[in-house]
Amino acid sequence: MTDAHPAPHKMSARGVSVSYGDKQAIRDVSIDVDMDHVTAFIGPSGCGKSTFLRTLNRMNDTIPSARVTGEITLDGEDIYSSDMDVVQLRARVGMVFQKPNPFPKSIYENVAYGPRIHGLAASKGALDGIVEQSLRRAGLWDEVKDRLNDSGTALSGGQQQRLCIARAIAVDPEVILMDEPCSALDPIATAKIEELIHELKGRYAIVIVTHNMQQAARVSQKTAFFHLGQLVEYGDTDNIFTAPRQERTKDYITGRYG
Amino acid sequence: MNKPAPEAAPARAPTDWKTEAMQKRIRRRYARERRFKLFGMLAVILSAAFLAFLLFTMVTNGWRGFTRTEIALPLDFPAMAMKIDPAQLSTPGANLALAGAELEDKVSNAALAAYGAQSVPLLSDAAWLKVREALKADPSLLHQKKLLWVPASTQVEQGLRGNDAAAAPLAKKLYDAGKLHTGFNAGFFSESDSTDPVAVGIWGAFKGSLLTMAVTFLIAFPIGVLSAIYLEEYAPKNRWTDLIEVSINNLAAVPSIIFGLLGLAVFLGSWSLFGMRVGPLLPRSAALVGGVTLALMIMPVIVIASRNAIKGVPPSIRDAALGIGASRIQVVFHHVLPLAMPGILTGTIIGMARALGETAPLLLIGMRAFIVTPPGGFTDPATVLPVQIFLWSDEVSRGFVEKTSAAILVLLVFLLAMNGLAIYLRNKFETRW
Amino acid sequence: MNPLALLFLIAGLGLIGWLTGRARAQRIDRGGAKRLHSLPSQHGWYVATWAVLPALLFVAVWASLSPSLVRDAVLEHPAAKQLPQFEFERDALLAEAKRVAEDPDAKAFDPLAAELAPATRAAENRYNWMGSAVAILLAFAGGLFAWSRIRAQLKARSQVERIVMLLLLVASLIAILTTLGIFLSLLWESLRFFEQVPITDFLFGTHWSPQVIEASNPGKSLGAVPLFWGTFFIGAVIAMLVAIPFGLMSAIYLTQYAAPRVRAWMKPTLEMLAGVPTVVYGYFAALTVAPAVRDLAVHLGMPFASSESALAAGLVMGVMIIPFVSSMADDSIAAVPTAMRDGSLAMGATHSETISRVLLPAALPGVVAGVLLAVSRAIGETMIVVMAASGAANITLNPFESATTVTKQIVDLLTGEAEFDSPKTLAAFALGLTLFVITLLLNIVALRVVKKYREAYE
Repeated sequence: MTDAHPAPHKMSARGVSVSYGDKQAIRDVSIDVDMDHVTAFIGPSGCGKSTFLRTLNRMNDTIPSARVTGEITLDGEDIYSSDMDVVQLRARVGMVFQKPNPFPKSIYENVAYGPRIHGLAASKGALDGIVEQSLRRAGLWDEVKDRLNDSGTALSGGQQQRLCIARAIAVDPEVILMDEPCSALDPIATAKIEELIHELKGRYAIVIVTHNMQQAARVSQKTAFFHLGQLVEYGDTDNIFTAPRQERTKDYITGRYG
Repeated sequence: MNKPAPEAAPARAPTDWKTEAMQKRIRRRYARERRFKLFGMLAVILSAAFLAFLLFTMVTNGWRGFTRTEIALPLDFPAMAMKIDPAQLSTPGANLALAGAELEDKVSNAALAAYGAQSVPLLSDAAWLKVREALKADPSLLHQKKLLWVPASTQVEQGLRGNDAAAAPLAKKLYDAGKLHTGFNAGFFSESDSTDPVAVGIWGAFKGSLLTMAVTFLIAFPIGVLSAIYLEEYAPKNRWTDLIEVSINNLAAVPSIIFGLLGLAVFLGSWSLFGMRVGPLLPRSAALVGGVTLALMIMPVIVIASRNAIKGVPPSIRDAALGIGASRIQVVFHHVLPLAMPGILTGTIIGMARALGETAPLLLIGMRAFIVTPPGGFTDPATVLPVQIFLWSDEVSRGFVEKTSAAILVLLVFLLAMNGLAIYLRNKFETRW
Repeated sequence: MNPLALLFLIAGLGLIGWLTGRARAQRIDRGGAKRLHSLPSQHGWYVATWAVLPALLFVAVWASLSPSLVRDAVLEHPAAKQLPQFEFERDALLAEAKRVAEDPDAKAFDPLAAELAPATRAAENRYNWMGSAVAILLAFAGGLFAWSRIRAQLKARSQVERIVMLLLLVASLIAILTTLGIFLSLLWESLRFFEQVPITDFLFGTHWSPQVIEASNPGKSLGAVPLFWGTFFIGAVIAMLVAIPFGLMSAIYLTQYAAPRVRAWMKPTLEMLAGVPTVVYGYFAALTVAPAVRDLAVHLGMPFASSESALAAGLVMGVMIIPFVSSMADDSIAAVPTAMRDGSLAMGATHSETISRVLLPAALPGVVAGVLLAVSRAIGETMIVVMAASGAANITLNPFESATTVTKQIVDLLTGEAEFDSPKTLAAFALGLTLFVITLLLNIVALRVVKKYREAYE
């Protein structure tokens, strides 16, 4: 793993292993995530890439049998230490899921949910501002500005996913984790999301899990290839796709298995 | 991340999570989280505590209902000069003969002779009955003097237990003199209702419950299972089937007292049909009418449980049987029904437990009579355990409080056993495919 | 003949029919060149069905007819002329005569009953033998007919199966018959009530005192509004104030926070609350809760507080309903997709924020339906209010005062010594009809809501 950036990494994982009960899902993964970058995790399904993603904002805590060892830091702070507050952590490290999961509330309330619970808006006007800004950044504003009170579940699949991105942005995170955000969408909606990821990367560190190698190649600057719970190779996306150093990576990229 | 936003909305300053205000806010949120969790825990604990308190109250009130205080009564039978032939005592007419010989008066005279006149009665109403049984068991007693332990009056019993201030000194004196002892009250399980709390028992009501449950089962089980089979396996999709389904679902939610009104109007009422007076169809106050009424009440429970059980049998089993040429009836009765039986039985037991604990509809169809002799058959006037509890609960005397709670404990043990059996069955036979 | 003996005899004839039918079919099978269409045992069932079914049907019809026949026969007796004209008394006398006739040990209190007893016994015997003879004859005739029809081509199986199907259909029609029976009998008696009491007096009158009914204007003391209020106040307000928070919070704690082991133990424990018979709750309410509530009221400065307060009955009823609300809430919360929960948690919401702002709003329709069903259960609950609530019909907002309910009044009206056709007894049916209609509506609405809600997530 080369370290091209002189600045400290936004997030770093060192020797991370995850197990569910006696089943080990992730073995000894070390990786760095930087600002202004999109990092893609690729690999065949069941390789542990989603599991690893969930350790980055401690969503694995919701599974009682999950156990995480190793060290993950955000701006140098250990996120699994007892000082780290999981509520703040998740506000700083947002997440977008595989299937769009807007709350059964209005579009406005979906976006306002995070600022409300975290107390980020001092007034109604400030909240309106956050909602508008988030929806704009998610590229959804023009489509929904006249029907902010409609239910979020009434939107199309692609719009729902952008709403979920807006919802994540509204909390003003530093890192956004995306777990196969386009796997439930049609190609046109997928293209829109990819475009959006491209625009967002200037503001946030983005980590995206995908099983679609073309997508990884299109949107990311760094790529990590996972296989059987291990990180096989991690590097600049261009290098991974053109000159993989590992035989397994090459086999996967050329479609030998997956 | 601090770049100005290019869009129309005003850009916002990045969130600083480390500020004092923010930290305070988060502490407040966590406090709320803990409070919320605590409320949940409290709700569970208080609900369980209520159950525990209820059981505790019943046990502390009721355990003494299983005991009975007896008083030593010296009886000088030869001196009583009863006009009775010892040979008569082993005939069926013994009871009548002993009553004719004024045994009851002689027994109370014996108490008077032994203890003198007291401000409270010493003997239970059932005391002379115990003497009667002793005489019937051993006719030679007629020529002997004998000390018998007979049930003491409820005042003495409660005085001894510290619940009756008026009788307490006397009871204490008798107890210290060794004239009183308290033992297991076998009569509680073999006697029936009485006006004297010392003499009451649950056998009559229990037998009534048994007879009623038998009727309920014999009607509700076959009808429930057969309709479940029809609805699940054969019913065509049409308005009639919908009507049946709607009826069953609604019947399951109809208040039980409405079934009492139904029983009263349909089974016990009479009306004219083509000029002939018809009805009442069933005898009032009997286990038969109670059983039929409860059967209608729990039938929907059995139907719904049976349908779920039948639904749980995989279609592959039906296909396999149909594939080797079985008829649709044979498929159901040879293959589906046996596999669904544990689920059906579980539902039936739960329904029967509900019927066993039910009171309200039975009050309306006359099963609240004062029943001194246990019912001999399905058409005799009868009462059931919950109704007996209800009747006793109206009595204010302390003795009846004990008996009511004791009867409740017996009822709860039965219901617990039935529900436990249902849970056991459900766990044991949980889907094997 | 003893009815049980008769049933056994018919069953025995059925068994003989089964055996002989099967034997005959087997003989044909062995002897003839033709193959049997159905199995020998199916021929057995065919004969047995023919032997048993018509006889049983006849027994059922006869059992419902013969009491009236006996009655008519007894009324022919010369002594019957002396029977009182008033129907209720006459029925009582006839019932006594019947009891004496059937039980040699019983003694008649009324000489007239004793006089009629032999006639009753004779009539009963006559009709009993008639009925038994016809039933047995029918069993023989049916069996013989079926036996004689056995031949190789006979489609015994499909014939028997057709009858089985008919039985299944009849069994499932009983649900409709019961519903109809409830509705029609309540409606019928209520209509008779409304002939005597204007429906507006009943539905909107605010004075309820069935103990004193003016014959000229019975509606004046049969205004049910206080009962409706008491039912609503106890069942839908006080009981729900206990059941909703406790049920909901228990469900939330057990599904969202509790360790699996705790859940495995506590869930059945709470369900036990639903298995306790209502008479036990009623006794507990009257014996323990009501005095405690009264003491509390006296402490609070209400020296004349009722010992049959609305609060005592409502509290205990609420506890009884807890498991009901809890299991409905449990189901609806479990039906909310995990993705919702994850979505909220991933934004840094605490667990309680996720539950109260995302899960509960999403589960709301299911919870509302559960509460509606719980209300319908509470207002139909009888024993707790019969034992712990008062009979005095008050319209009050003070939970320490007494209030009465529809169900309690039904029981009170029908367990007195009133004649059957008086406005007082008929009022019970009008109350029953009201209760039936309201619980039915609540259930229909609740089921609609649940159905819509399920569709939303499927």
